[in-house]
Amino acid sequence: MEPSPPSRREFIQLDAVDPVSGKLFLVQISFERLQIVARRSMGQTREAGFIVPHVLQKPTAIFEGLRMDVDEDQRGVGWRCYCGIPQHSYRTDGTACPPYPRQVYLVFVNQDRIAYNWRWEKADPDEPNLPLNHQGRFKKRLI
Amino acid sequence: MTAMNHDQFAAYMLKLAQPAPAFVPTASYDADGDCIEFLIAPDPFYAERVDDLVTVYYSQDTHEIIGSLLKGVSGFCRHMSEKMPGFKIEILDGSVKLEHIFLAQLWATEAQPNSIKTLTYRKLIAIAEANEATATFACV
Repeated sequence: MEPSPPSRREFIQLDAVDPVSGKLFLVQISFERLQIVARRSMGQTREAGFIVPHVLQKPTAIFEGLRMDVDEDQRGVGWRCYCGIPQHSYRTDGTACPPYPRQVYLVFVNQDRIAYNWRWEKADPDEPNLPLNHQGRFKKRLI
Repeated sequence: MTAMNHDQFAAYMLKLAQPAPAFVPTASYDADGDCIEFLIAPDPFYAERVDDLVTVYYSQDTHEIIGSLLKGVSGFCRHMSEKMPGFKIEILDGSVKLEHIFLAQLWATEAQPNSIKTLTYRKLIAIAEANEATATFACV
């Protein structure tokens, strides 16, 4: 197994919508994480490059506060989850396809406004714009 | 820090992926999320939460388990080291094999032997072991 690269605290900044003011604010993504994702596949590279910015700016919902203790930021409140349905999904080779049916895309942002994880998840069958079990997972829905 | 608009960011990512290297299984610790992301295949994936520690990644193509996200790992390892002193022995210079984290969590839960949760953990232990998945972080 390839060892992880050394930690480098360099960040890229992207616009995201602030659910409170409705204006844009800057979210950061670590360069190290982007490098890791870019080494995986062209599909995951395109997910990060095209879908993550889309969901941060045009979410169908934003949740705040994760209910699970382990999920909660040790410094207190403020974890946010941006949820959206992108226009495309991407195969391993980077080919664009329609979004996966009955799935939503989530981007997790921490208290320091750092987007640290993003992924597809199953959607709530009754509210297909929202993730499965969203009522039990998040403390508050902001939009 | 570098601010980018969406077009610049997309172009930056595509450039970062050139030339596209062959995929290698990885387990990487992310301090921003205090999480370890473990992936053994380049497939696109979807995630399903197992419990408050583990979220499993399933291939969108095969629906097989191809990885996982472990959240709150620093606290988990500290807690386990206090609860099970033997766990501390498995942490060498801040490096811990993922199979030990999965096994520690499995032992600490009350899941039935044939439950989906137990079977999922057993699968994760098997693929972590097969891929010699190790992550390094300040855990104790």
